[in-house]
Amino acid sequence: MRHAGVRAEAAVTGAMLLPAAAAFLGLFCYPMLLTLVLSLRPEGSETGWTLSHYLAFLGDADSRGVVLLTFGLALAATLGSIAVSVPIALALRRRLPGHRFFRLIVLIPLVVPGLIGALGLLIFWGPRGWFNLFLTQAVPILSRGLTVTYTLPGLVLFYLWLYFPYTCVTTLAALEGLDPAIEEAAEVAGAGRWQILRHVLLPLATPGILAGSVLTFMAAFGAFSVPLVAGGNYRPLAVEIYKQIAVPIPPHWSGASAIAVVMGAVQVGFLVIYMRAVRRLGGRR
Amino acid sequence: MKALARAYGRGLWEGRAVLAYTILLSLTLFIVAPFLMIALRSVGKGWFGKLWLPPQLTLEWYRWAIEVGNIPEVLRNTVIIGVIAVAISTAIGLFAGWAFGRRRLPGKELVLALFLLPLMIPSITYALGVARIFYALGLVDTHFGVALAHVAVCAPYAIMVLAATFEGLDERVLEAASVCGAGPVRRFFHVVLPLVMPGILASAIFTFTHSYNEFTLTLLTYGPHTVTLPVRTYLAVGDGYWEITSAMAILMVAPSLLILALVQHRARPERLVGGFKGA
Repeated sequence: MRHAGVRAEAAVTGAMLLPAAAAFLGLFCYPMLLTLVLSLRPEGSETGWTLSHYLAFLGDADSRGVVLLTFGLALAATLGSIAVSVPIALALRRRLPGHRFFRLIVLIPLVVPGLIGALGLLIFWGPRGWFNLFLTQAVPILSRGLTVTYTLPGLVLFYLWLYFPYTCVTTLAALEGLDPAIEEAAEVAGAGRWQILRHVLLPLATPGILAGSVLTFMAAFGAFSVPLVAGGNYRPLAVEIYKQIAVPIPPHWSGASAIAVVMGAVQVGFLVIYMRAVRRLGGRR
Repeated sequence: MKALARAYGRGLWEGRAVLAYTILLSLTLFIVAPFLMIALRSVGKGWFGKLWLPPQLTLEWYRWAIEVGNIPEVLRNTVIIGVIAVAISTAIGLFAGWAFGRRRLPGKELVLALFLLPLMIPSITYALGVARIFYALGLVDTHFGVALAHVAVCAPYAIMVLAATFEGLDERVLEAASVCGAGPVRRFFHVVLPLVMPGILASAIFTFTHSYNEFTLTLLTYGPHTVTLPVRTYLAVGDGYWEITSAMAILMVAPSLLILALVQHRARPERLVGGFKGA
């Protein structure tokens, strides 16, 4: 009798998960599987098997450059996000008057469509934007201004604008979660402000900073819309995939699929490393 | 040297409020200045050369954006798609959230992590497959089809938020309701629903924002009848008429800022950080 009840209960639970499972299988697993199969087919054909797309992608010097570019951009954006987030979080932690307003400002890049952000950045940092206007007027020796848009440093800057909130929000949460007593103890023990920051606050906040910066890294690794419109000649993986089906006629679906499979696999790899790191850091505390 | 550094450090600490505001104001400038320039571009005329502000103001670009850019129809598409995506995702999220939050489930963590996987993998990797399937099924360029593609990323959000909501439901309140003689139906409508309503609202806001801003999945499944706001911006940026594009951007960004205000009031901002696929 009891067993029947348990089984009925399990059946109801299963039924409740059914819509979610259907969406997961139909909109994620099956498309991924299809992409995998397609990446193993000769271009434009529904039969036959080949590894040529992978070999072509992995063997080509240009595509190795694409992978390197994607990594480099994501890494630069991540390091930059830590560098800007720590001071911002330290400043916001004090709950100065108006801190709510600044907290809202930090979230803006997360809610605004990335393309509109990219448009604004292209205008602001462009040859006729305020940045160059300021430069040419403040630094008299510069007569022409700097080219920021469509360059690699410019792209890093745009990534930073778009993805630093992930690091910033978690860094702030980590710093605010610290027990004020620890800081007071360090102060009583005679530590200077700098020492407290260097030896107490930052080491304790490191797990939070790392967790957030990995989010920034993964988001930047998958970046699509911003490099698509603001990348110029620099095409990270996601853009390269899209160009494979958007530019050539007929589209290179199999080639695009092969790159997508590589990209998805790398991202899953990051995810596994990330989960392990989080678990280890969580276990230590 | 060390003494100097120490004195410098003390000086910084004493001026910490000034330092903090300097940091925060630079941040604000960095984040907001691009939008200010978009706003000025959208109403400025004859803004060339070394001018900080446009010499003349005009609303011409908005007229162009609305007539040529077809913004009203694009906005209608975006909202229709968003509403369908929210409806499907919330329905999925309600059932799955109840199962995750209220019921014993073997391997719960793992199943939940699996369902959240689409948020953590760049959407272009499965958008390719979704596009192929939708082409075969004739779902491309229909409101329902594009909305269904959005469900791939919206449903995980709804599941995440609603699972947390149902988990937070206090068992004792339900028991109290039964003790007072409320049947299951009455308990659901008069006790459970009011308690989880904030969660449902938060989930709807999150999923709508995501659908509203979703670009990758739309780009691979849209057609001439289902151009949404992000796709329209993309096409406009490519066209290069930046005054008109700026006007369009302003028309689009207003709702997102409204959503930001709602989010700040209704839900914890940390949740926004939950998903991290590149957009």
